[in-house]
Amino acid sequence: MKHTLIHLNSSPYSSLACKEGLDLALVLATFEQPVDLCLSGAALALLTDNQEPTAEQGKNLHKLLAGLEFYDIENIYIEKNHSWLEDNPTWQGVQPLNGDEWQTMFSQYQQVFRF
Amino acid sequence: MQYTLLITGSPYQSKACHTALRFIRAALNKYPNSIKGVFFYEDAVLIGNQTAQPPRDEINLTKAWQEIAEQHSVPLYLCIAAAVRRGIINESESRRYELEQHTLAEHFQLEGLGTLVDLINSTNKVIQFR
Repeated sequence: MKHTLIHLNSSPYSSLACKEGLDLALVLATFEQPVDLCLSGAALALLTDNQEPTAEQGKNLHKLLAGLEFYDIENIYIEKNHSWLEDNPTWQGVQPLNGDEWQTMFSQYQQVFRF
Repeated sequence: MQYTLLITGSPYQSKACHTALRFIRAALNKYPNSIKGVFFYEDAVLIGNQTAQPPRDEINLTKAWQEIAEQHSVPLYLCIAAAVRRGIINESESRRYELEQHTLAEHFQLEGLGTLVDLINSTNKVIQFR
């Protein structure tokens, strides 16, 4: 059984990449494969609370976050020191890593898929 | 060593499908059984559209991948959810959605993400092209 990291790096509203990355994470978890998530770049927007996108703007993927623990997806990492995250109300289920920990994290998985 | 290729880049907005094609040719040339399967996900599923007509002086990527499947018996899977959303539909999905046409090119097959999980668990390495 391989431990997988899904790295979300795309904006949840500029393409389907975030959604399709999360879909893969959920399917891996459904098949009882260990999977963790990490978010960087524009994908961090996924964490912002009180999102109310219209149908044209895209699906509200933020709502999926609360359900991740039911799939046993418990490790969701971000890099520390994002002033944007500190200034906005965001989902608290993430584990912030410092720069070194963030770099080291990627080598701890047998496979990393980026979306 | 057996590989699975996971291709997620659009054939029109990235070189993922092109680069993966070069990789798979090189791999199969040296080790004929080195590829267990190819899984197309996200916009990469557009590779399986049989109605796409590239200009005649450009590479026909769909055909190039079909030749790989035909010559080396490598299965080419398209994620069914990603494909149907983008109009790549086989005969049974066409009936299910009560459509009059289907668009899935020969040698490609629609499969769920569970097939990717199976490939992940039965090959040594998965290589993503995006």
